[in-house]
Amino acid sequence: MALIDVIITLTEVLFLLALSPLLSGIIRKIKAWIQCRKGPGILQPYRDIWKLLHKGTVMSKEASWLFLLIPYICLGAMLCLAVMMPVFYTGSSNGIGDMVAAIYMLAIFRFMMVLGGLEGGSSFGGMGSSREMMISAIVEPTLLLSIFSVAAISGTTDLSDISRYFASSGASVLSPSLFLAAAAIFISLMAENSRVPFDNPATHLELTMVHEGMLLEYSGRELALMETASYMRLTIFMVILSNIFFPWGIAMDLEAGALVIAIVAIVLKLLLISVAVAVTESLMAKLRLFRLPNLLTISFTLSLLAVMSYYIL
Amino acid sequence: MRPYDIELLDSLPFPPSKYEERQGRLHLMVQEDQVRPLLSFLIKKEDGELSNLYHLPSGNCIMALVVVPRRGVIVIEGALEGTTYPSLTIELPSAHWYEREMMEMSGIVPLDHPNMRPLHLHDWPKNEHPLSPSFPSDREVPLVGGTYHYRKVEGEGIMEVPVGPVHAGVIEPGHFRFSTAGEPIINLEVRLGFVHRGVEKSMEGCPLPRALRLTERISGDNGVAHSMAFCQAVEMGTDVPERAKMLRCIYSEMERIYNHLGDIGGMATDVAFAVPAAAAATLRERMLRLNHDLTGHRLLWGTMVPGGVAKDIDAERSDHLQNALVDLGLSFDPIEDTLFNSPSFLDRVETTGTLSLSQAKDLRATGPVARASGWDRDARRDFPYAAYARMGFQVQVQREGDVLSRLRVKIGEMRESMSIVKQCLDLMQDGELRVEVPVPDGMGVGLVESPRGELVHCVHFENGKMIRYKVRDPSFCNWPTMEKAVLGNIVPDFPLINKSYNLSYAGNDL
Repeated sequence: MALIDVIITLTEVLFLLALSPLLSGIIRKIKAWIQCRKGPGILQPYRDIWKLLHKGTVMSKEASWLFLLIPYICLGAMLCLAVMMPVFYTGSSNGIGDMVAAIYMLAIFRFMMVLGGLEGGSSFGGMGSSREMMISAIVEPTLLLSIFSVAAISGTTDLSDISRYFASSGASVLSPSLFLAAAAIFISLMAENSRVPFDNPATHLELTMVHEGMLLEYSGRELALMETASYMRLTIFMVILSNIFFPWGIAMDLEAGALVIAIVAIVLKLLLISVAVAVTESLMAKLRLFRLPNLLTISFTLSLLAVMSYYIL
Repeated sequence: MRPYDIELLDSLPFPPSKYEERQGRLHLMVQEDQVRPLLSFLIKKEDGELSNLYHLPSGNCIMALVVVPRRGVIVIEGALEGTTYPSLTIELPSAHWYEREMMEMSGIVPLDHPNMRPLHLHDWPKNEHPLSPSFPSDREVPLVGGTYHYRKVEGEGIMEVPVGPVHAGVIEPGHFRFSTAGEPIINLEVRLGFVHRGVEKSMEGCPLPRALRLTERISGDNGVAHSMAFCQAVEMGTDVPERAKMLRCIYSEMERIYNHLGDIGGMATDVAFAVPAAAAATLRERMLRLNHDLTGHRLLWGTMVPGGVAKDIDAERSDHLQNALVDLGLSFDPIEDTLFNSPSFLDRVETTGTLSLSQAKDLRATGPVARASGWDRDARRDFPYAAYARMGFQVQVQREGDVLSRLRVKIGEMRESMSIVKQCLDLMQDGELRVEVPVPDGMGVGLVESPRGELVHCVHFENGKMIRYKVRDPSFCNWPTMEKAVLGNIVPDFPLINKSYNLSYAGNDL
């Protein structure tokens, strides 16, 4: 691996880290517009993180040292995941970005967050954790299957190689199986990132919380890290959707022109997905908790169909 | 005596020692052990409802108010010999909270009451009773600790989840103790009293103007209903001018409109359906500004005064109000469409938090909660006050008793309220706004259909001084019914059920 690859990979990680709060701010802004509200500025997530970083930590008496360690592990897992992602350049993370590893980075994040919810010893954290595990039990196989389907098309499980394969083959690889898998990933994106209909990121009702319930006991710097990690997870899901499934515009050679096009392309794609997320969230009410498996099963079925249609068609 | 009264007195299981009619109410004086059979008779045979139950220190008797649809208010005065009497709760579950309240506030012990725990006073010494005459109102009581024993549910996998009294959102304080098996709720116990301010004690000996202001503040968003009930109680049957009656209807219906708008938006908020929620919040705000334009107060406080109303609506403002309400109705249509055309929303509200008709009747639910369960009761129609006798409106009744039914009832009532305001504005003629009210004496009752249901104020004067003031907010009746409605639902649906009830904590705690 050449030095230039390392530099590009680090730039990609910083790019995702810096951009992810903005995307959350944009989603909130679009939702506010749809509701005919002005809403907070799109830079609000940065201000929130900055504010939280300067606050002290309050810890539950029940919590152990693990409680304080978890935010670092979570953010660390997301940074590792960012390293694996092809963001501008398909060659940068060659050989380290295996898709199964990527899915298990997400699993580490989720597992740690669930532990963090339990650590506080409060009933809301426990409820949030148990609900999160219920959701993830179906989301995880869906994720695996849908990425398997693209892996089957491209013949590799390396994320960068998949990306390069699709980018170089052009429109000829567009198949029903790709779209089915993309739809499944979009539903998983909503579920994993606790968006409406699965969870309500803006709720104050402690009894309905999933994601927020697990974060309820966190404060100060630890909360800032957890929030940042959550923003990053959303962004990384968007990157998977845009650069694994539809990687057009990504740079395949190290040229200044191609890189500029790649940056513009990824920003546009991320914005587009943000709009899609915000609109979807505004269109419906949150589902009843025990109806969630129905919707998740739909996404699982989609991903299953994606794999099957590849072999049949 | 009315024919109904004579018939009733003949059919009673035993004759009362004394009876009389006062301001259209039938008063039956009985001994303490006769209260229970008499009440049972009125509730089970005559289709009556227990509307209030409290202790009156002067004369040492318990007062039970029963409203009977064809008759109106019947008051049972049960003379006590000491400080105990046979509990009513065993036969009449609707007396449950009243008796616990009486026990801690007045020190009257209902013998054999199944639940002797305090209701609203937390950590109070057992022998201090704030409403007994010997308790000076400025007395500071040293709090004693103590454990409040919640109902225990035992079994494998049963978890107890305490929620509140401090909540994540800016809402009133109340403690909810859930016993859950996974997500389904096996038992819920509501513990309130965190905003007990001693309203009834402060009213004792209070001059009328100050008392009027105080009643508006019992439960702020029902200020018109509370102050109107106060006015009715101290007017003691004095006839208020026609124009004032119309204006009273208008103000109380405007209060209902903004309350119900808030509830409808609240239900959408609680299922994270943000677009209609934001739209309903906008309409509510428009309504509050309209209130401000008309009366100078966003919550319409200061409109009621004994003998009439304090604020008039002139011709120009009347037009403004009519147009604004038509506009509001039109703006509300798309919200209703969005809600009822959204499968995801309907799925959340259907069959959620069902209160059956028999539960509603046993525990004596009131207002939209009772009507959503199929109980066709509305004080505006059944015991008309102000100008309601001349208004045409449909009482909104649904059958299912779930969140959706309560939503439909509230939407329907809001539309009826708009129509009532319009009828009032059309019928209203120039005239006096208020008359002098004679110095009150004896007992007065105010009975009003507030946005949350039937609201009762009872006042007793002696030598021109208010000696006892009893407030019974509709929330006091409806809180126990919520404990039943949530059973079998899952924990994340509780906030939605709670919002569909939208009960007042302050009105309940007093």
